[in-house]
Formats: sequence, structure tokens, C-alpha cells
Amino acid sequence: MAEKQTEKDGQCVLPLSRIRTIMKSSPDVGSISHEALFLTGKATEMFVKNLATISREKSKDKMNVNYKDLAEVVNSDDVLQFLQDIIPRKIKAREYLEKLEDEDEDSS
Amino acid sequence: MAERPEDLNLPNAVVTRIIKDAIPDGVNVSKEARLAISKAASVFVLYATSCSNNYAMKAKRKTINANDVISAMEEMEFDQFEDPLKHCLEAYRNEQKNKKEANEKKKKEKEVEVQTVEDVMEEEEDDEDNDGDNEKDEDFVAEEDEDDDEEEDEEGGDVESVGLGSVANDNASVSGSATGSVVEISDDDG
Repeated sequence: MAEKQTEKDGQCVLPLSRIRTIMKSSPDVGSISHEALFLTGKATEMFVKNLATISREKSKDKMNVNYKDLAEVVNSDDVLQFLQDIIPRKIKAREYLEKLEDEDEDSS
Repeated sequence: MAERPEDLNLPNAVVTRIIKDAIPDGVNVSKEARLAISKAASVFVLYATSCSNNYAMKAKRKTINANDVISAMEEMEFDQFEDPLKHCLEAYRNEQKNKKEANEKKKKEKEVEVQTVEDVMEEEEDDEDNDGDNEKDEDFVAEEDEDDDEEEDEEGGDVESVGLGSVANDNASVSGSATGSVVEISDDDG
């Protein structure tokens, strides 16, 4: 297994062209060296693996990882704060409506 | 995220594969979770780019380089990525070096091939009496030099139009006489 990893270390499974597209969409970005592009791709791979692993750790059911586990991890880990807007905790519709009612009462 | 003509999402199949590599076999990850992880990955790229770019700008550079990316990981509190990334960078640099050397080697080999085929062509042209050797027969009258030049140009032209790069000298067969007929080069490998 360790040998297999060494083979893949210099290669990225994510398409670098797509990574580049995302990077270029960031404001004020000039040029990106091909090494920087490769490393960003590799870092993203590591990030995905890390996120999947810690979500499972947090999950009560070790054989199933679902959205809830992910949202829980994102909203409790400081390092993952930048993801809070895109992976919010979900609440039931009823709770949301109640929330809206409370807000209306406050503003009126 | 708003949809744009340029797709800012990463391919689902690849993300799924990466996830599967990280967790034990048989563990199920819901589609919703996988989609969320994919979106998170895109946001991660943006965040990493922004941080890397800050380092580049601080150093008054317009190009983001490898060190900027590694510094960004520290800034983002993904310290655990730093050493593995340095390791990957080394592996990547080695592969690039190997590729470059392989390409240069191929280039040199191609140049040798072209030269060798051209040499064969010239030899054939010297076989004026068409008896298979380059020795002049006594009774044979050599053609005028001007004609020879014309022939050479024609055949030279033919040589150029054939894909020499793919023809190994061993497999090329040259047929036809040197008296002006078209020379064919055929690829014998089957």
C-alpha cells in the first residue's frame, strides 16, 4: 500500500484544467505556476479525504455517512468555518416557519 | 453557488473515488453528502487560492508559486497537509524531469532516423545501372547531372511527404529504380 502511494504522489486525480478554472475565478489572481496548480489539486484531494474521514468519525452509524454528519462536523470545527454557509445544519420546515413567525413578531 | 458557463464544480466520479479511498470498503456515503463534499472542495480551492495569492502579492509577485500554496495551508490551519505536499512536490518535480529527458531522447532518435533514411535514398540514386550496387557499369552511361538533381528533388519531396517519424529504418523498404520513377517507402510492420 505504501508503494502504491509513492506512485501516485507526483500525480493528481483531479483534473488540473478544472482546478485552474476555479482558481482563475478568484479576484486579483494573476498567473499560476504549474507547480502551484498541481499542489492546489493535491491539497484538494487531501481535503476531500480528510473531510470524509472526520465526517465518518463524527457519525453514529459507522457504515453510513450522510449530510447530517457532514454538517455537524463543519459547524463544530473552527478550521472548517469557511464551509458553514455552504454546508449548513438543516432544520425541519416546521422549525423554520416558527423561526419566521418569531422574527415577524419582533419586527412588528 | 451560482451557475456559470465555466463549470466551477469538480467531476462527481473523481470526488467519489477519492472519498472511497479514504474510508473502509462497504461504508456508504449518501449522494447528498458526496455532493456537499464536492461543493466544499470547490470552495476549498477558492479559499486556498485567495490565501496563496496573498502570499504572492506580499512578495510583489504576479505568479502564484508552490511555496505560496504551502504557506497558505499553514494560514488556513491545514498544517497536516504541509509535509505531504512537500513530498508530493518533490515527486512531481522528478516526474517532470524524467518526462523532459524522455522527450529529448525521442527527439534525438528522430533526427538520426531522418538522416539514415535520407542516406539510403542517396545510395539508391547512386545505383545508376540498377544492378543493386553503387558501382558504375562500364557500358552504362551516367545521366546528366542536371537530370540527377531533378530526380533528387522529386524523391526528396516524396521523402518529406511520408511520415518518417513512425517509420523505423529496419521496416522501411525502398523500391523502384533511380531512373526517375516514384520511390515508395512502405511500412512493413503488421
